[in-house]
Amino acid sequence: MKLRFAAGRLLALVRKRRLDGELEGEIRGHLEMAELDAIAAGLPPEEARREARRGFGGIEQMKEHHRDQRSVRWMENLLRDARYGIAALARDPGFAAVTIGLLALGIGANAAMFRIVDAVLLKPLPFPEPERMVRVGEAPPGGRNPTTTLTFLDWKRQSDIFEALSVEQPTRAAVATGGSPERVAGKLVSADYFQVFGVKPQIGRTFAPEEDQPGAAPVVVLSHAFWRTQFAGDPNILKRDLALDGERHRIIGVLPAGSFDRDEAVFWKPLIFAPDQLNRGQHWLAPIGRLRAGVSLDQAQAKMNVLRASLAGVIYQKDWGFAVDPYARMLVGDTLRRSIYLAFGAVLTVLLIACANVANLALAKGATRRKEMAVRAALGASRGRLIAQLLTESLVLCLLGGVAGVGLGALLLRAAAPLVAVSLPFTADLSMDPRVLGFAAVAVMAALILAGLLPSLRTSFGKLSNALNQSARGSSGSSAAVRRTIVIGEVAASVVLICGAALLFKSLAKLQQVDAGVRMDHVITMSADLPAAAYPSPAIAARFYAAVVQRLEALPGVRQASVSQGLPLQGVQWGEYMSLPGVKEVLVVRLKLVDPGYFATFGIPVQSGRGIEGRDRAGAPPVVVINEEVARLLSGRFGMAHPVGRMVGIDVPGYGPIPESLVNLQIVGVIRSERTGGLNAPPEMVAYLPLAQAPRQDIKLVVRTRSDPAAAMPGIREAVRRVDPNLALGDVMTMEQVKEQSMLWARQPTRVLGAFAGVAALLAALGFYGVLAHAVTEQRREIGIRMALGARPGDVVSHTLRSALAMLLVGLAVGLAGAFALTRALKSLLFQVSALDPAALAVACVLMTLVGILAALIPASRAAGVDPMTALRDEG
Amino acid sequence: MSEYKTDVPYGTLDLLILKTLDTMGPMHGYRIARRIEQVSENLLRLNQGSIYPALIRLEEQGWIRTQWGVSETKRRVKFYTLTKAGAKQLNVAVANWERATALVARFLEAES
Repeated sequence: MKLRFAAGRLLALVRKRRLDGELEGEIRGHLEMAELDAIAAGLPPEEARREARRGFGGIEQMKEHHRDQRSVRWMENLLRDARYGIAALARDPGFAAVTIGLLALGIGANAAMFRIVDAVLLKPLPFPEPERMVRVGEAPPGGRNPTTTLTFLDWKRQSDIFEALSVEQPTRAAVATGGSPERVAGKLVSADYFQVFGVKPQIGRTFAPEEDQPGAAPVVVLSHAFWRTQFAGDPNILKRDLALDGERHRIIGVLPAGSFDRDEAVFWKPLIFAPDQLNRGQHWLAPIGRLRAGVSLDQAQAKMNVLRASLAGVIYQKDWGFAVDPYARMLVGDTLRRSIYLAFGAVLTVLLIACANVANLALAKGATRRKEMAVRAALGASRGRLIAQLLTESLVLCLLGGVAGVGLGALLLRAAAPLVAVSLPFTADLSMDPRVLGFAAVAVMAALILAGLLPSLRTSFGKLSNALNQSARGSSGSSAAVRRTIVIGEVAASVVLICGAALLFKSLAKLQQVDAGVRMDHVITMSADLPAAAYPSPAIAARFYAAVVQRLEALPGVRQASVSQGLPLQGVQWGEYMSLPGVKEVLVVRLKLVDPGYFATFGIPVQSGRGIEGRDRAGAPPVVVINEEVARLLSGRFGMAHPVGRMVGIDVPGYGPIPESLVNLQIVGVIRSERTGGLNAPPEMVAYLPLAQAPRQDIKLVVRTRSDPAAAMPGIREAVRRVDPNLALGDVMTMEQVKEQSMLWARQPTRVLGAFAGVAALLAALGFYGVLAHAVTEQRREIGIRMALGARPGDVVSHTLRSALAMLLVGLAVGLAGAFALTRALKSLLFQVSALDPAALAVACVLMTLVGILAALIPASRAAGVDPMTALRDEG
Repeated sequence: MSEYKTDVPYGTLDLLILKTLDTMGPMHGYRIARRIEQVSENLLRLNQGSIYPALIRLEEQGWIRTQWGVSETKRRVKFYTLTKAGAKQLNVAVANWERATALVARFLEAES
């Protein structure tokens, strides 16, 4: 009582000022009129005023009474309903627990998913004025392409468009961590890189403009996380140095905690262009920029078009333009965007089904409360009051479910973040934030409307007087029909999700069956970077390749070893023109640099000629091996039926400061194609050059072992250390893991949709069970009579199952119709599976039917267990 | 809930106000109070101020609604109007009242 009064007063305070003012005006008006009337009746003015006052009564007393009247009423109702609701829940803790659990599940999963949607799609750039961040590139018809160094420098001079324009190149370097070298990721960036992001350092400074020019002293900026872990958060960090690949770099700054800690890069150093990179041939740069304040995207694009026209004389690709795109859009790929929308749609469906279950429970409960409602209506409660009371009870449930849901969502996010982080852009922050709470509040309101409104309307409407006349058992038939309809809807929604999941699973299975063209078992891979200081010339690098392979193959557990640039399924970095003597047309081929052991280690058969051999060393006649895709094109388009022995020209990449150069190579062999892109990408045209003739610093070691490859790792590390004690190995992955990683884009949405479909099916089964169990309870008398008249338990079971099956079939039909309409959205995620694949859809229907029948068996067997005597005697 | 006392029979002030608004149409507070006094002249002593708490109570029940208007003294005052729900409530209240008085009357007749 005290509490209610206090709360009532509290809320009244908010309205007090306005209402008091109004009342004051009314009193004054009243007294004036009373006074006028008294004067008109013949009283002198002084007397008239006193008379008016007397007639009015105690003013202060009346004001107080007025306040009580207006403040308490609605608060009183709300609090009474809430208290009543809580008391009702305490009386039926099972109902409360199930309801709160269902809502927590639905709201929690949605809150977690919303955080991902928010972090990736809605608010993808946690930087100041993200709308000014752009990606700039060259634009071949219908696409985007990296640009060349000289063109990038031309862009950079457009200071009326860009406040800052920068490129970034991933790099790796070995840092000494307490003795053993460790390879860490970093980025080579232009000096104004951090201006693009609008990020200020926490300690020190970022790069000065002259620090990305040739001859500048080596400096480095550290990530906050690296500073904390590697330097124990040393406040005097600016006095220290960092050795990258053995070269001293002065530490000039530390970034603030946040976005840049989610990237794998831990250090940034200036990208200084080498003289041979100053050309317009090599397209390797993907600049990101910050538009000058006030410059719109359209204006920037228009100015870039003008610039493009002025550069027409020097840019070789006549039909390529320049393009300025919002950075946010470039950060999130189409597949990721689709996957996230898909998952969000699925999780919303789960919430919908959870709400349907809650509504169903409330309806069943409402049927037993109609008498109570009827009594209250008879005692003078208005229909509005009854609805308000029922809604308040639902609100209590929804709020409790929402609170539990936010907690569950936080747990889900914490569990899921490490799993999905690799697929998300580095800017995505998956911690809980106030926007999630806002979303959860919206979800609670939605749940209240979905799960609370219908039952409260149904319970309070209709002929309540009938409820009083009805016998205690049995509720109105129309309520049961509503509940059946809701359950059919749940089944239909689940069927849609299961269909989607079945399609994705089938697609994933197809993808897994694709032959990558290489042997994957017992293969372990790792990456290394030969530091320029220790490996200044191609010859020294080539010596390392041979030595490390020899050491590795001497290990007892190792069958074969190989050094190459790049692995199967991970894409090929280099694309180059291949020219044929006497032919004007050029081909674009992917270029892979491999050592003599590569084909054997991966089990790639040579189809004609030979593979790369030990004799193809530096100084020997330059050779190339092509895959069957290239051979097919050569024979088809150029009539080169036997390419082995023919000469071709290819730009061979340089080494360190040595520039790339056009080399005439002899085709010495054709090999069977390996899958170089993903499993879903058709084989590309690939030319293989001997690594010894075109050495690289960024290399992969590939080892085929006799037994478990992971167990061989210590021996492998030791063998590499024998060759170069300072060389750090990174990215240790078995080939199976490489394959898994290449399929992540398909596996993650499949897992997510599969999980949600499973939850949806379980919830639908629960709803299904609830309705059937309720029906059996209501029909106990009828069942008892039928059994007394000779029906066998089997008949009773089949009767219940038949009605269950009828509901299931309607649900399946509606669900399939929905699936036909909706699975189209999956199209871009499906591999060699039609969005209407009959087998997958059939499997989905069978699964749902099985789950539904399982849910129906329990109430059916309970129906069969009804004892006719008890049922008939139990009149209630 | 309140110790506020009035000479009007307990619980009938609402009925009197509703009935007044029903017969007379929209009125402001002073006119309502005067009307009740006039109709009941020497039978009822009303503290005119007591109608304001009653008015806010009726308003919050949704039985009457208010509009701003100008009084005879050119002051902005609230005019009160009966709503549809209020008209229904008036019927209910009148019926209840008649039942109650009839019952009491029968009881008294039987007693004598």
